[in-house]
Amino acid sequence: MEILAEAARYCGISFLVIGCFFEIVGAIGVLRLPNFFTRAHAVTVASVGGAVLPLIGVALISLSYTELGLGRIYLACLCIVTALLILIVVPTGSHALVRAALRTKMEIAEEQSRGS
Amino acid sequence: MVLVEIVFNVTQVLEMVIFVYIASMVMFFVRILRGPTIFDRVIAVDALSCDLAVFMALIALYTGNPHIAFPMIFIALWAYVLDLYVSKYLEFRDIGE
Amino acid sequence: MLIPIVVVLVASTLSIILAYLTMVEKDLLIATIYIAFIGVLYTLIYYILMAPDVVLAYMPVSSILLPLMIVIVLKKTKRFEE
Repeated sequence: MEILAEAARYCGISFLVIGCFFEIVGAIGVLRLPNFFTRAHAVTVASVGGAVLPLIGVALISLSYTELGLGRIYLACLCIVTALLILIVVPTGSHALVRAALRTKMEIAEEQSRGS
Repeated sequence: MVLVEIVFNVTQVLEMVIFVYIASMVMFFVRILRGPTIFDRVIAVDALSCDLAVFMALIALYTGNPHIAFPMIFIALWAYVLDLYVSKYLEFRDIGE
Repeated sequence: MLIPIVVVLVASTLSIILAYLTMVEKDLLIATIYIAFIGVLYTLIYYILMAPDVVLAYMPVSSILLPLMIVIVLKKTKRFEE
């Protein structure tokens, strides 16, 4: 049981660090990429890779904390449900926004030429 | 095992991850300031509200109080509604009411 | 316990800058997006000050109801302010 808790803790820490990497890469991409569609790709990387993986990591770490009592199972279930919801919800909103941007391309060009 | 425990202390890892999320929050804020179109600003708000859910889980684990983490499921549910409003308004010129 | 103080400082500073930008903005749809961003930052501050029930009441108001009403009003009237 002790071995299992240690393994869960190290898996959680590695998930957290990998999600941290995705987050900082997505944030730099949001700053540096030239176009709206490429920026949408960077934001989707930062949302899915940077939010789902750390939530699973937090769930694993909190399962290995014995001093939290029964609250650790509560936090783990909450994190896993939130990760599944983000995995459903974020591509839906991003797809709707990119479709609207593609269909109103003329208005975007007009607005950029107006300089607002 | 003691050396591994010293190197990979959980609290230090949590502090590092929280600082990375603060830095990415500032970067999204810069994109909101500089964004040439509306869609850039909306998608930065979306990314920030997805980071907020992770932030709540990290704070709840850092302070050792797991019973305050329940709003993050609602934030994950409601983060994308602003995208749908703005895209429907700009695409069809009405939002259905 | 240095982390929550740093988070509250950063979020409140960004919200002050965004409140000024919301006042001087001419495009009202962009001002709506600024208001949603301010709501997200206030949600973070409320959460770190250990008030999650206020977060439950504040999040749908600032992220759903207020942009919905402003977008409906913008559809009935004009989008740009002179």
